[in-house]
Amino acid sequence: MTEGRTVARVRFLALFVVVMFVALSARLWFLQVLASDQFRSQASRNSVRIVQTVANRGKIVDDQGSLLVGNRPSRVVLINRQRLGSQAPVVLQRLSELLHIPVWRLRQSLNTDQYYSYTPVPVAFGISKSEWLYIEQYQGSFRGVSVEQLPVRTYPNGRTAAHVLGYTGQISAQQLKDPAYAGYDPGDIVGKAGVEQVYEKYLQGTKGIRKYLVDASGQNLGPIGTEQPPVPGDTLHLTLDLKAQQIAEESLKLGMENARHYNDSSQGGLLKANAGAVVVMDPNTGAIVAMASSPTYDPALFSGGITQQQLDKLQSAGSNQPLIDRAIQGLYPPGSTYKPFVAAAALQTGIANENAYYPCPATYTAPTDTTGQQTVFHNWTTANLGSMTVAQALIVSCDTVFYKFGWDFYQKSPAEPLQRDLGAFGFGKPTLVDLPNEQPGVVPTPEWLHKMHRENPTGFPRNTWYPGDDIQMGIGQGDTLVTPLQIATAYSAIANGGKICQPHVASELTGPGLSKKGKAIDPPCRGKLPFTAGQLSYIRNALTQVPMHGTAAPAFGGFPFSQVWVAGKTGTAEKIGQQNYSWFAAMAGKTPNHADYVIVSLVEQGGHGATTSAPIVRRVIEGLYGLNLSAANPSAPND
Amino acid sequence: MDLIAGRTWSIERRPIRHLDPVLIFVTLALSVIGLFLIYSATHASLAAQHLDLSLYVKKQVTALALGIILLLLVVTFDYRFAKVYAGIVYGALVLLLILVRTPFGTTSAGAQRWFQLAGFQFTPSEYMKLGLIIMLAAYLSEVKSQDLSVEQVLRATVLAAIPMILVFIQPDVGTTIVLAAILVGILVVAGARPKQLAVLALSALILLFGAFQLGVVKDYQLQRLYGFLDSKNDPQGANYNKQQSEIGIGSGGITGRGFLNGTQTNLDFIPEQHTDFIFTVVGEEFGFVGAVVMLLLFAILIWRAFRIATLSKDPFGTYVAAGIGSMFAIQMFVNVGMTIGIMPITGIPLPFVSYGGSSLLANYLAVGLLLNIHMRRFK
Repeated sequence: MTEGRTVARVRFLALFVVVMFVALSARLWFLQVLASDQFRSQASRNSVRIVQTVANRGKIVDDQGSLLVGNRPSRVVLINRQRLGSQAPVVLQRLSELLHIPVWRLRQSLNTDQYYSYTPVPVAFGISKSEWLYIEQYQGSFRGVSVEQLPVRTYPNGRTAAHVLGYTGQISAQQLKDPAYAGYDPGDIVGKAGVEQVYEKYLQGTKGIRKYLVDASGQNLGPIGTEQPPVPGDTLHLTLDLKAQQIAEESLKLGMENARHYNDSSQGGLLKANAGAVVVMDPNTGAIVAMASSPTYDPALFSGGITQQQLDKLQSAGSNQPLIDRAIQGLYPPGSTYKPFVAAAALQTGIANENAYYPCPATYTAPTDTTGQQTVFHNWTTANLGSMTVAQALIVSCDTVFYKFGWDFYQKSPAEPLQRDLGAFGFGKPTLVDLPNEQPGVVPTPEWLHKMHRENPTGFPRNTWYPGDDIQMGIGQGDTLVTPLQIATAYSAIANGGKICQPHVASELTGPGLSKKGKAIDPPCRGKLPFTAGQLSYIRNALTQVPMHGTAAPAFGGFPFSQVWVAGKTGTAEKIGQQNYSWFAAMAGKTPNHADYVIVSLVEQGGHGATTSAPIVRRVIEGLYGLNLSAANPSAPND
Repeated sequence: MDLIAGRTWSIERRPIRHLDPVLIFVTLALSVIGLFLIYSATHASLAAQHLDLSLYVKKQVTALALGIILLLLVVTFDYRFAKVYAGIVYGALVLLLILVRTPFGTTSAGAQRWFQLAGFQFTPSEYMKLGLIIMLAAYLSEVKSQDLSVEQVLRATVLAAIPMILVFIQPDVGTTIVLAAILVGILVVAGARPKQLAVLALSALILLFGAFQLGVVKDYQLQRLYGFLDSKNDPQGANYNKQQSEIGIGSGGITGRGFLNGTQTNLDFIPEQHTDFIFTVVGEEFGFVGAVVMLLLFAILIWRAFRIATLSKDPFGTYVAAGIGSMFAIQMFVNVGMTIGIMPITGIPLPFVSYGGSSLLANYLAVGLLLNIHMRRFK
């Protein structure tokens, strides 16, 4: 047992500790009981202002990793409307003189409900360093004005692939209400078109958060808590190949320009060739290698806060709607590019036979059409071409053979096997490509006609399905409408032996928001078409003859077929009141019957398929295989 | 053979039968309360970062489990082994305090305090407190005279000064204060005369003044001190912590704003709230009542330590228990004192309650030693 003196010393030490407790308790009594009200009101006046830091939007790269869309810092002038107050006229005048922006434009920018009243509104983008320094130096004269470095989209390849990439812009009032945009704030920059829109949630990234203590007067008292740094968006890898894309765009542009110097054989005058689209696709996977649409636009216009004037100009009638991606949003009668599918359906239903011969006269009349005024369907030539196989009918694109098939299909009504098979090829419904606002097209049926008549009696005065509807469908006319991408998908099915591959422009997402391996975007190739391998190969063999000896031969003169196998089909679609629309759909490969690419070209008012589109496709193929590039000159029509 | 209630004397005096249940209860109570407070202090900011809300609580529970295991281990050996190895333990810890200053140590917020070992942090200064207690107790328990000579006081002071200087230059003013309190506590119990202690205090003041003059003290420490001396000055700078923590505790009132309802706590106004400023959570969310209950628990803890000091059968046990009591007392006082504005802000955790593995383990080791001395008081 411890001796007495030690116990006394321990007690002495304990006395100190008692003093400690007394001091602490007394102070606590003061703070929590006597002065509590004062502290409670101080606590309620303590407020936090949350400042968000913008995250860099994810990059977009091509299949080789080349940068297609990046970010660059841009000096943005922001105005805090609450702080501007009565100084507004003076400050806006000064800013207008400094930045050479009219005062009314500044006012227009400020007059927006896109931002909270206390959030600074951007009024000018990309100001110079000296302008920035001037504002900083004379901060007192620019009350409420601040300059921030914000990331904006940059396009190292200019307009290339503008329609696929899309553009960005401020989130709209509707989008803010949309549950899909939960967590977005007014003024946020979001994808507005193309993959920027479709992959928005991956590209967006996460804003950083910094909390500041603010006193009752709104004075910033410095940061509190831990900063949450912004997380950049994921990198989007496209299946698009920059080189192929450039070739496709160049070839489309060149082919259209050349066509404008060429006479329209049907209506006289020069061809207008005012718009078009090219799709290059890997038929085995659905990966889109290139996708061009003309006319096009500069996506960079949008990254600096597009003005209403610029937007009006882009949307005016005279500009011919450059924002529309004609490859997926343009609806066209497919014309003769439809014939391979009609032929496949005819062979499959037994309407046609691979070895049988069919007459190809100059005109066709439905056998039951015995009225006084017979409806006469014309072939593209007034000559009678005699009897021919289905293959030959494809090679020379004989309309009258396919009119007869249309009539035979009409006989099968109401089973509608033609529409069923066309639907199997993907027509009349979206391809589900990863791009926004895709058009589904139309495969007319009697039900469809009744529905349209019911909804729009003036546009569709007729409510009866006539033999002519099927007859017209046989050559891809009538009410049939397709997109160039649907044609590419359907030709891919012929090329790959009967699979419908969902077309896609993106292949992978990588980045901090995802696992190390990234997220592969690999939509499936679905289903087997109801055609035998023999039937599809029969059609491929026929199409192989088209560029060599058939309707596209004039456009493929001198092409090295020994090096690259090309099979294709021309199309000359008629549109009332306009010049013909020029189509060419092709498959190309190193070895026959093994297509690496399907290439489709459509030129609005470009005349015959062989005239404008076939030379464009030829030039694209030459580019894809590193052959000498031809001039994409128009060739004589033969269709 | 003596018989007490039909049992043999030796069975009755078996160490295991003499654990101190009050001490065990208080230790566990403080630790468990700590878990709730850590959750309250961290859940809002963890939610903002989309992290597991009980991330810190889970880590603390792991440390707590380790602490209990460590305590049980310590209890099984006779505490007098500690006296045998005191020199080695002390020497090793001093060596680690030197090594932590080298690139082996990890730097954080300008201070170099711990080692990173396989995902765990090892902070030698936390264990140095115990090391010093054992060392001083071992040395002074060999003194046979009733009072200490000047030479003995001086030797004890040198033993304490070595780790104090090493900790001070890390810089870790808080632990330096704790080491000083341990020295004083043990010296008092060991029989240092008031005159000797006064000289000691005076020289410490002179040394401290010299340290400020020579610029050994870091800027932020100075700022905190100035902030403490002039509280209305500079609300966002050095004094910010103190003001916000006072607002938090003061706004708690008598009964507090309720668990998880403190605005100061939830809005992250108080930095390092789950570690050094954990007491503000008690103050804001449980009010004066909660704060006093927590102080009472600490009072019981320190009372048990001092009681064990008087019960110990040998001077070594007495000094160790008194040193541990002093250590808990000074940590509690400085920590709570800084949150309510009567002590300058120094980085001292609140024992058993603050988040932090090394501190918790060291404190459980200390409780293990106390239990050990208590259990073997008859042997």
